[in-house]
This record gives sequence, structure tokens and C-alpha cells, in this order.
Amino acid sequence: MKKILSLFIVAILALSLVACQGAQTSTEGTETGGTTTSSTINVYTRDSSSGTREAFEDAIGLGEGELTSAASEVSSNGDMATRVGQDVNGIGYASLTTDFEANNVKPLSFEGVEPTSETVLDGSYKMQRPFNYVTRADGDYESDDKQQLVEAFIAYMTQSQEGLTVVQENGGIVDMTNAVAWSELAANYPVLNQDNSGITIRTGGSTSVEKVVSACLQAFQPLAGNVDYAMAQTGSGDAVPRTLGSEKDGANAIDIGFASRAFNDDEDVTGALESGEICKDAVVVIVEANNAMTDITKQVAYDIFSGTKTSFDAE
Amino acid sequence: MFANSKRIKRNKTIDKVFRYLFMGMAVLSASFIIIIVAFVCIKGISPFLPGYEFGQVDLWSFLTGSVYRQDTATYGVGFIIINTLICSFLALLLSFPISVLTSLFIAKIAPKKLGAAMQSVIELLASVPSVVYGIFASGVITAMVRSLAASLGIATFGGSSLLAVIILLAIMIFPTLTSMSITAIKAVDKDLESASLALGATKTQTNFKVVLTAAKSGIFAGAILGLGRAFGEATAVSMVAGNKLFGPTFDLFDITRTLTSTMLTGLKETSGLDYDIRFSVGLVLIVVIFASNWILNQVKKRIGNQV
Repeated sequence: MKKILSLFIVAILALSLVACQGAQTSTEGTETGGTTTSSTINVYTRDSSSGTREAFEDAIGLGEGELTSAASEVSSNGDMATRVGQDVNGIGYASLTTDFEANNVKPLSFEGVEPTSETVLDGSYKMQRPFNYVTRADGDYESDDKQQLVEAFIAYMTQSQEGLTVVQENGGIVDMTNAVAWSELAANYPVLNQDNSGITIRTGGSTSVEKVVSACLQAFQPLAGNVDYAMAQTGSGDAVPRTLGSEKDGANAIDIGFASRAFNDDEDVTGALESGEICKDAVVVIVEANNAMTDITKQVAYDIFSGTKTSFDAE
Repeated sequence: MFANSKRIKRNKTIDKVFRYLFMGMAVLSASFIIIIVAFVCIKGISPFLPGYEFGQVDLWSFLTGSVYRQDTATYGVGFIIINTLICSFLALLLSFPISVLTSLFIAKIAPKKLGAAMQSVIELLASVPSVVYGIFASGVITAMVRSLAASLGIATFGGSSLLAVIILLAIMIFPTLTSMSITAIKAVDKDLESASLALGATKTQTNFKVVLTAAKSGIFAGAILGLGRAFGEATAVSMVAGNKLFGPTFDLFDITRTLTSTMLTGLKETSGLDYDIRFSVGLVLIVVIFASNWILNQVKKRIGNQV
């Protein structure tokens, strides 16, 4: 009886001993390393399902599995900003819409270009990607009403002040200078005035645009006679096949497809009723506010996130 | 007579109806457990079966692996199991003496009014939601760990570390442990104490040698409950754990990864294998909790017998 108790206590003590030993070896390691411990870079990353991570890794050319395994995984954009802001040796990435000052982080310019809405829109800030859309071909809809509704929705999302504001609120970077009031646009689509609750607009394609598109659809619904919608976002690669290509008449057929990248040469969108860009999505590398760094190049970012560069000052 | 027997009959029918109603409720609540366990099992086992739609995962390398990376689809939870055990047991080790001494003070030493006040404070602590503990931990505990590490010349991930998780869990299981211990200590027979005092033992000797010995079974039950909470805590832990990609972590100032934080991080945004494998992690967690509860219950039985 007593034996089991003492065994249990020994197990606990052994466990704590192991923990202490681990702590000791690490101090030794950093002391013998020669450099001061405070300058070892701590890399923060989002979990791999994050669209921001995808955009960031694409921009710096970091392939699958190349990320250093010394990285710490954070759960959200806000979590990223908070954690990097508390860590003088931290580096991470966040969307451009993050409140940098409130989180005590500093956004870095990329290849010498500061991240602002202007530099993103004129294309000089390179850590960005477009959100594109493509629709089915003219006349290839279940009904004329549906085709009109799809046209109206695209107009709402890409041209109206109201729609662009929704896109902006959900992280998209848009050019508002040519926006017009929705009431003006709506006049072109008489179908909006009837009850459309029996019609379902089906969307698909990139998962990264899901937040923006679902917010737009939600805002659009009451303006369009309560039209129904169904979202099946699976990946940018499905946007074209399911609207215009091989799957357009199958079970996965959709009315509007989205891609979080430019359509490539294999994806012919010329036959679409409409295709174009909704907005741009930009990612910013962030460091703690007192970090001396102000700019980062693609190469340096790659070296840090792949683990070959582990110190901010050593070259 | 006739009217009376009619009433009796009616009452009997009402009794019968209610009996079935209660039975229905009991079956309903019991079936929830079966549904949940079955769902987790089916989802959790499916990645290891041949013909799994996202590519079969090797069970052995899943259970013994020391890398967990979604981007390369490397899922090994071996080190995470060790991490989880380390976090929970060290938290218990830290919390146990504090809560036993606290409960001894509240139940035996403190004046009645003070004791009652402190007990309600501890009960309040138990009802604080875990996300609130998490915010406290990521704001205060990490800052403490950060400055402690800085004074030792160790670099940390902004204070997110194994140590922060241990301190957080110790605080979170403290109320459970303490209130169970208070109940156990209060239940100790007064005669035992009086006998000890009559034999010339001092108050302190009586408290440690008689009261605690008599209450140890109940205190141990509190430890088991507390450990269960430490194993299962997800929200607060993932706010300070840092989610390391490989392990196990023995360094108190290094970031760690627990079974719960692994399940929670990015759950909302993911799909496919990465989604299903979280159920497998959940199954592993259930098994770990069952196993440690069983072992501790065996220990409890042994020490409970030899008063």
C-alpha cells in the first residue's frame, strides 16, 4: 500500500527533476552559443489553414514544409499582433487592416515600399494578392432572373459605395474613388424589386475570399428580394472549372467562382458573363515596436522564416 | 367507495406516465454521451483506416511521433502526450501543498467568519470562466515569466512557455482542490481530534498527523478532479502555450503544445485530414484522462484503506 504511494511520489519528483534539467541545458546552450540570448529571433506563424499565411508564404517564396520548426503557432490575426507586440525578438505577419499601434508592433516595409492602401492598389507593394471573380457564361443560368441577380450582385460588390465598404470592413483593400451609390446601380436591375426567395446564388472557389463574399451576400440579400445563397468554398482551383469548365453542369456547379490569385493561362475566363477583381489582400511583416528594423526584403524574410537567419543584427 | 377507487386508478396512471417521462429524459441524456463518444470515435479512427479519402495515416507514427506540422501533413502526438502529462502533473504538484494548507486553515484554524468568507472567495474562483483566466495569463503571467527569464538571461517567446502554462493550470485547479479538501477535512470525526489532543499532541501535530491522515482520501479525490480539469483545459492554455511544432518540451521557458491546444488552434478554418485528425487527438486525450484517472483511483483506494 505504502509502496504505490511512494512510487507515485517518486514519479512526480522525477518528472520535476527532468523539467529542471531541461531548463538548465537550455541556459547552457545559449551561454556557450556566444551570442547574447536576447537577439535570437522568435518566429511566429499562423496555423496552416490561414489565408494570411498562404498569402505571406507565397509572397516570400516559402514552400510547403520549409518553415522553421522553431516557430510558434498563433491562433488568429489578433493573437499574432498581441504576441509579437510582447516579444522584443518576435517577428510575424498580419493583415494590413491590423491596428499596429494598439498592439505595440511596427509594420515593416517590403523591398523598400511602405504598406499603405495606395501602394497596394498601384501594385508597388508586392506582398499582396488579388481576389478575383468569374461567373458562368451569358445565358448559361437556370433562369434570366438569376442571371440578372448575379449581375446585380457583382455590381453591388465591385462598384457600389455600400458594397465596397463591406469589402473594406472585412479586410479587402479597395479603390473607393469611382464608387457610386447603390440606389443608382439598382435602377438597372428591375429583378431586384420582386420576391427572389426561390432563387439560390451558388458560389465557390477560394476559401480566402469566403469572409468578404459572405459578408457581401448577407448585405445584398435584403436588397435583392431575399435571394438565397449557398457557399461552397473549396479552393481557387475550383473557380473556373465549376463555372465555365468541365464541372459546370455537374453536382458542384456554381454561379460565381472566386480565386485568391490571378487566373492563369490554363483558366480561360473569356467566355464568362463577367470576370474581374473584387479587391486586394495585403500582408505586412510585423516586429515589436522598438525593433531597429524598418524594412525587410524577400530574401531576408525567407531566411528568417526558413530558420537560416536566427539573429536580427548578425549578417 | 366507487369514486375513491376511480381516483386511485387515475393517480396510478399519472404515476405511470411520469415514470415513463422521467425514464425518457434519463435515456435522452444518457444517449447524448453515447452519441458524442460514437461520433468522436468514428471521426477519430477514420484517418487510420485503409481507403481514407485524404490518405491513410500510420497509427504507430501518429502515437509516437515527435513532430506535428499541418503544412507537411506530419501528425505525431507522442510528444504532445508527454507535454500534456508534464503540464498537468507539475501544475498539480505546485497547487497541491498550497491548497491543502489553505483548506486546513479555512476548516480548522481560521475564525468561523473569516473561514466562511475565504471559502466563498474560493468558490467564486472556481466559477470564473476559463477564457478570463486565459486573458489574465496572457497579460500578467507571461509578463512575469518574461521578466524572470530576462533576469536569468534566457530568451522566451514573449513569456509564452511551459512555466506559464503550469502556473496558469495551478491557479485554475486550486479552487477545485481546495473546496474538495475543505469538505474532506470538515468531515473528519471530532472524536479523533479530541483523542489526539487528549493524548497530549499539540494542535499542529493533530492537524497534520490526525486530520490530514483521516481526510486524505477526500483530498486525493480533489486532486483527481483537479487533474481532470488540468488535462481538459483548452482555451486558456492555448493562449499561453505557444504551440511548438515539435517536442517534447522539458525546458520551463520554452514554448509547448498540449493535446487541447492542438485541437483548438485553427479549428474553425480547417478541413479535410487536418480537421479529422483533431478527433483522433481528442480520442487520445480521452484515453489519457481515463488512464490517469484509473491509476490515481487505484492509488486512492490503497491509501484510503490504511488509516
